[in-house]
Amino acid sequence: MLITLAWRNLWRKKRRTMITVSSVMFAVILAIVMMSMVNGMKQQMVDSIISNTTGHVQIQDVLYHDEPTMDHAMEYSQEVKEAVEALGDAVKYTVPRIEGFCLASKEVSSRGVYLMGVIPEKENKMNDLSTRLVDGEMFAPDDHFAVIAQGVANQLDLALGDTIVLLGQGFQGMTAAGKYPVGGILEFPLPDMNNTLVYLPLKEAQMFFAAPERLNSLTLMLEDPQKADDIASRLKAELDDEWYTAKTWEELMPDKVAAFEARDAQVRVFAWVLYIVAGFGIFGTMITMMHERLRELGILLSIGLKRGKLAMVCMLETLFISLIGVLAGVAVGFPIVYHFFLNPIQLGADVGEVMIDYGMEPFMQFSIAPDIFIYQGINIFIIALIVGLYPVKKVFRLDMIHAARN
Amino acid sequence: MQTVIKTEGLSKTYTNTAVPVHALRDVNLEFKQGEFTAIVGPSGSGKTTFLNVIGGLDKPTEGKVVIDDIDIATMKESKLFDFRMRHIGFVFQAYNLIPVLTAVENVSFIMLLQKRPKKEMEQRAKEMLEQVGLSDKLNTRPAQLSGGQQQRVAVARALASRPDFVLADEPTANLDTESAFNLLDIMARLNKEENITLIFSTHDQRVIDRAKRVITLVDGAVDKDEHFDRN
Repeated sequence: MLITLAWRNLWRKKRRTMITVSSVMFAVILAIVMMSMVNGMKQQMVDSIISNTTGHVQIQDVLYHDEPTMDHAMEYSQEVKEAVEALGDAVKYTVPRIEGFCLASKEVSSRGVYLMGVIPEKENKMNDLSTRLVDGEMFAPDDHFAVIAQGVANQLDLALGDTIVLLGQGFQGMTAAGKYPVGGILEFPLPDMNNTLVYLPLKEAQMFFAAPERLNSLTLMLEDPQKADDIASRLKAELDDEWYTAKTWEELMPDKVAAFEARDAQVRVFAWVLYIVAGFGIFGTMITMMHERLRELGILLSIGLKRGKLAMVCMLETLFISLIGVLAGVAVGFPIVYHFFLNPIQLGADVGEVMIDYGMEPFMQFSIAPDIFIYQGINIFIIALIVGLYPVKKVFRLDMIHAARN
Repeated sequence: MQTVIKTEGLSKTYTNTAVPVHALRDVNLEFKQGEFTAIVGPSGSGKTTFLNVIGGLDKPTEGKVVIDDIDIATMKESKLFDFRMRHIGFVFQAYNLIPVLTAVENVSFIMLLQKRPKKEMEQRAKEMLEQVGLSDKLNTRPAQLSGGQQQRVAVARALASRPDFVLADEPTANLDTESAFNLLDIMARLNKEENITLIFSTHDQRVIDRAKRVITLVDGAVDKDEHFDRN
C-alpha cells in the first residue's frame, strides 16, 4: 500500500511530474550521448594503440621500456616460449618484432625511418597490415625485400624495384647496414606512420641489426583483453626477472592512459552538471509536493503511520521520479547511440585531420557499453537519494498537530 | 462499566506564545466503555487541546492520561504511534482522507498498518462502508464524494480497526444539516452496536442533543459534567 500511495501521489499533478521526469530524461539522454561518444572515441584510440603498437601485453628485456635501444633487445629464448605456451588458450596469438630507428637513403636523399622486422602473417592478424598495401606485394617470412610506407617512398622518390639503403646501429654497437629492393608500398592514415615506416621480414631485420634470435618485444594478443593485468603478472612470475619483464598496454603507454583519465574526468564533471540540474528539478517538485500535503502528512502521522514509513513513502516518490526519468532517458538515448554505433559519423576534412593527429581514424565511433547506461542509473539514484533527504527531514521534523490543522 | 480513559490533574500550558496560554487546567475525568460524550465550550476553551492530549497527539504539561492502565503522557513518540494506531480512532473536522486512495483503501489503511490479514481487512472495510451507507462507493476516490460521504468514510476508517475509543474533533462542522444528521445517526448506531466509546469536541447543538454525556470546558477547566438518559 505504501508503494501504491507513493506511486499515486506522483500522478496527482501529472503535468508537473511529467515536466520533472522530462528534466531527468533529457539530462540522461545528453549524458548517454556524450559518454557514448567519448567512450567510443577512447575505445577507438585504445584499439588503435593495441593493434598498431603495443598489443595487450608485451614481453621485453627488463631495461627496454626505460631505454629502448637495440642493446636491450631480448633473447627469444626457450624460457619465453614456454612461459607463453603455459598460458594456453588465454593467448590468441603472439607477434614478434624487432624494431629501431635508422637512416634510409636513395642516391643523395636520406631521412630517418623506423624499421620494423615483422612476420606478415602475424601482423595481418593484429592490424591487417597487408590491407594497407597500395602497390606491389607483401613479403613472405623468407623473402629479402622491403615494404615501405607511401610517405617514405615519396620523400626518397622510391618506386617498386628501386633499392633503399638502410644504416643504423645494431646489437651491442654493431653497425647495421643493408640495401633492399622495394617490393611493396603501404599507405597509413596516420602521418607519423606514413612518413616513417619501413618493413622487413623478421629474420632479415634481425640480420640487419646483428641480433639473430632477438626481439625488442614479443606482443601478446589475448582472448580476453580484460585479463591483461593477470596475464602480465603470471608472466612476470614465470620469467627470470633479471632479464625479462611483461607489461600491459597501459604500462607501456602511461601518457595515453593519463590523457584518457583526464578526459574521463572531464566527461564525468559535465555529466554531473547535468545530473545536478536534473536534481534541482526533482528538488523543486519535492518541495512543492511536501508543502501542498502538509495537512495530509499530519493526518497520516496522527492516525498512526510512523514517521519512518511516511518518510519512506516520500523517498519512494523521489526515487520513482528519478527511475522513470532514467528509464525514459535510456529508452530514448539507446536507439540514438545504437544508430551511431552501427553508422559511425564520418568526420570532415579539418576535424578528420585533428583526429588523425591524435592517432585515430577520421570517424566518430559511439560506444554501447552497458556501463554507460548503468552509470546513469547509479548517479541519478545517488542524486535522488540526496534530494530525497529533504522530504525525509521534513517528515521527521513535522509538527503533526500544527500540520493536521493547517 | 470499564473505565477506558482517565485523566488526573491534566494541565497544558503553551509557552511558545507572547503570553503563556493555559489551555487545560487540572482536568480530572473518566470515560467509560460505550459512552457517547460531547466536549463543549466556547472557542479557546481547550476542547481540541483536550482531544489532542488524550489522543496522544500532544503531551500534557502536567498530569496523567491513563489508558489501559498505561500513562500515555510519559510514553515515547515511537511507542505512541503504535498505541494510537491500535487503541484510538480519529475523525477530523475536514474529512482528511487520503486523496489518492479509494474509499475502501482509506478504510483499510489503519488495518494495513496493523498488519491485519488481507482478507479480514477487505471484509471489514467493506462491512464498515456498508454500515455507513457507502457500499456503492467502495472504489471511489474522495474527490468524487460529497463532504458528508467523505466524513462517513472517515468514520468508517476510524472504527474499522476496532479501537478502544474514537475521538472526533468537530466532525459535523463542515456538513449541511442532512449530512450532519445522517452522520450522527450512523455514529450513534455504531456506538450502540459496537459499544465503542465516542468523544466529540463540538459547538454543534445537533451533536450535543445526541450526547449521553456533555462536558463543558471553560478556560481549560471543567465547568460542567452532565449525564443524560438518551436512547
